[in-house]
Amino acid sequence: MATTTTARTSAAEKPTYLYKVQSLAVKVLVYMVLLLGLSIVIIPIYWMIATSLKTDTALFLIPPQWFPDPIQWSNYIEVWQLVPLARYFANSVFVTLLAILGEIITSALVAYGFARFRFPGRGVLFSIMLATMMLPSIITLIPSFIIWARWLGRYDTYSPLTVGSLFAWGPAYIFLLRQFFLTIPRDIEEAAIIDGGNLLQIFGYIMLPLVRPALLAITILSFTGNWNNFLSPLIYLSTPEKFTLPLGLYQFNKSLAGGSEAPKWNMMMAMAVLMTIPIIVLYFRAQRYFIEGITVGAVKG
Amino acid sequence: MLSDYARTLADYLIAAALIGSAMYLTYNILRKFGVKPETASGYTLIVPWLLGFVIWTAYPILASLYYSFTDFNGLQPPRWVGLENYKNLLERGSYFWPSLRMTLLYGAISLPIGLTLALLIAMVLAREDVRFIGFWRTMFYLPAVIPTVATLVLWIWLLSTNGLVNQILSPIYNLIGMEKPSWFTDPTYALPGLIIMSLWGVFGANTVILLAGIKNIPRELYEAVAVDGGGAWAKFWHVTLPMVSPTLFYTLVLGIIGAVKTFEPGVFINLPRATGTFLQVLVYQYAFGTRALMGYASALSWLMLLIILILTALVFRSSALWVYYEGERR
Repeated sequence: MATTTTARTSAAEKPTYLYKVQSLAVKVLVYMVLLLGLSIVIIPIYWMIATSLKTDTALFLIPPQWFPDPIQWSNYIEVWQLVPLARYFANSVFVTLLAILGEIITSALVAYGFARFRFPGRGVLFSIMLATMMLPSIITLIPSFIIWARWLGRYDTYSPLTVGSLFAWGPAYIFLLRQFFLTIPRDIEEAAIIDGGNLLQIFGYIMLPLVRPALLAITILSFTGNWNNFLSPLIYLSTPEKFTLPLGLYQFNKSLAGGSEAPKWNMMMAMAVLMTIPIIVLYFRAQRYFIEGITVGAVKG
Repeated sequence: MLSDYARTLADYLIAAALIGSAMYLTYNILRKFGVKPETASGYTLIVPWLLGFVIWTAYPILASLYYSFTDFNGLQPPRWVGLENYKNLLERGSYFWPSLRMTLLYGAISLPIGLTLALLIAMVLAREDVRFIGFWRTMFYLPAVIPTVATLVLWIWLLSTNGLVNQILSPIYNLIGMEKPSWFTDPTYALPGLIIMSLWGVFGANTVILLAGIKNIPRELYEAVAVDGGGAWAKFWHVTLPMVSPTLFYTLVLGIIGAVKTFEPGVFINLPRATGTFLQVLVYQYAFGTRALMGYASALSWLMLLIILILTALVFRSSALWVYYEGERR
């Protein structure tokens, strides 16, 4: 490091010295901004975990107890008895799996159709599909409810939450997959056609493996979307045992809010942590695809 | 329990079989009429979406437009009332106007702040001297991964009267001689509370999207500015901002739609009457509340669609002024 004296004596060194100080200052500033951002992100998450491990009395201490003392691991056992958490988990897994499966298979078929085959009206239909992305789901909510509940008699079942996925209900997924199909050279399919492959064989054995990254990206988008879905379970499910995790947490929160005793924030946070774990695990294992899924529309679109 | 699953599984398989046969029929019928294999394959492949569009989008849109002109509770057949629902909403909507105000304010405040912050962090992350970029990106995106309802319950706890936020801020409250606000029950603080919560939830996702946009900017452009003697500000104003503007535009449009569609916070939090609530919550309460005002709720959902259309049209209109598309000559 240059000292002040050398900088003052040697005029030639002065710019580099200034430059060094300046770039150091910028660096400090950069890391301060990042650390500030990091603490804003981390403190609430830490508080969620810390709260979930506290005793009832430690919850409302002033000043706040930063580290749970004692650490009450038993909250994570008690919460399963306090609410039918195992049922909620099973329900969420069931709904999410069926919805992902339907969404992926049908959006891939439709995207392949839009990307690779010329047919009259393709442009118009594709534009209509993109336009439905902008459509707020609230518009179709009431008539869809009438169809499911009154006409098909499927109120308080999981059908409204899952069967719709077979109709390629995610236009964003179709768009994303189509972008990927478009990047694959046509020669590959043409070779397969010459070899006598039929449409479904080409699709299943050649095209799908080639767009694997996109499939993983939409699997993740679809997983988080369905796992977190709150509105549809809220309007279609009524028996508490049939609730999915988000609806179960809502129910839990509501049952405590009006009560005479202090809200069991430790239990609620334990439940919140438990329902977050599957997504966090997936996030840390397949982060690339999370990022891919959300950025592809912005950059490629 | 298992019978619940079995029933849905049966529905699911039946629907899959129906869609499959629809595809099979489409292909064979088209081929019989002498349509080229390529054309027939194209139509066949989009059959699932086409069916879904007709059953779950086109029909519901028309039905909801029709319901909006009727008195309908979901059980009895709808009774035509003309424009009465709309008139009641606009003239006597004691909930509608506060809720419209609140939904729009919520978007108008949280979007600019959120996007500015996200752009700032994204620009910092895009610097070449920042190390462990993967780590920072992972951490900043984290809140966006947490389920919305978990985030909500967490923030209701953080912003409760004796919650962590108030306790951390209490020295500041003392300094300016202010009472600890009870964020979600006091009409003055409900909106700021909701905005803080939403900023925390979305800004990570926007940061990652904008970061991808910034990383796409060719380095030569910055070098050109440097050659012309431009400093950091010139680089931001003449390169970063125009080059990232399409991405910014994308996040803005998504943000507007997202803000108007905000739902969960209004259901979880009992907002004070004077504040109003989110429009979508209002639709839910009218349609699925005890009175089942489905016609009235449909009218409100159409007003929401109009609002979204007007706002996005304005943004698209304005985009000519501030969004720069490469390769476009003007």
